Amino acid sequence: MIRVLKVTGESLYPLYKEGDFVIVSKIPFVLNRLKKGDVIVFKHSLHGTMIKLIKEINQTGDKLQVVGTQEKSIDSRQFGEIDRGSISGKVIMHVRNPNFKKLY
Amino acid sequence: MIYRALQALDEKREFPKARAHCDVPCGIYDPITAQIDALTVVRMMDLMTSLEENAGDKGVEYSNSMSRYVAVKEEHAEKAKHEIRVIWGDYIKAQHLETFPELGEIVHNIMQLGSKCRQTADREAGTQLVDAVNQFAEIFWKTKNVPTKKANAPYAPALEMVYPDL
Repeated sequence: MIRVLKVTGESLYPLYKEGDFVIVSKIPFVLNRLKKGDVIVFKHSLHGTMIKLIKEINQTGDKLQVVGTQEKSIDSRQFGEIDRGSISGKVIMHVRNPNFKKLY
Repeated sequence: MIYRALQALDEKREFPKARAHCDVPCGIYDPITAQIDALTVVRMMDLMTSLEENAGDKGVEYSNSMSRYVAVKEEHAEKAKHEIRVIWGDYIKAQHLETFPELGEIVHNIMQLGSKCRQTADREAGTQLVDAVNQFAEIFWKTKNVPTKKANAPYAPALEMVYPDL
């Protein structure tokens, strides 16, 4: 129910940066606690495992719009809504990369 | 502390990646094309000067050669600007600008020098364009943690260039 993943890419900069770790869990959303502004990890058929912010959840709660924080983010603006079933988990802990500046 | 522990685990048994993608993630960017374009501009200026000094009667052959040198100078000054704009627009991110705040001024300088090289035959502007594109290349490779070296180009006009030291 709990997974550790490493963040790659800049779509959620400056909230999440290259090399950060996130700990995600299915427990919060099994209990129906997903809400706008949550950061989730989900599987996309074309882009693989992605991490994005929830922008909107539809009334029935089975479709979500997800976004990044950057103008050029690949998100629901390109690939549309995602299914709730594609979500691997909600971020419950964020461990920032202290060496981030040295990477660039 | 927690980060270090996770990093050590990641190095031993890689954690899956959560992608925060931007644009098409092709990742193929290299300032060398802009550097060669800038060098070509100086080469054309040198050929123009040489032709002007050595041409006897300035007939149709002279006009033909001079026109071609000017056209190539125009084309490559514009290409240098284009290549830098692509890297600037598609690769350079806010965090790069935080680390290298001088980058904006360097890019602006390249745009202006590129235009000056099109408008004039001023060799000084040409070498300044090469220098500015080299400054951009040096920072570009730093963003990728790739060391660089300086060496003279192995062809005329043999100006000093920045290359990745692979």
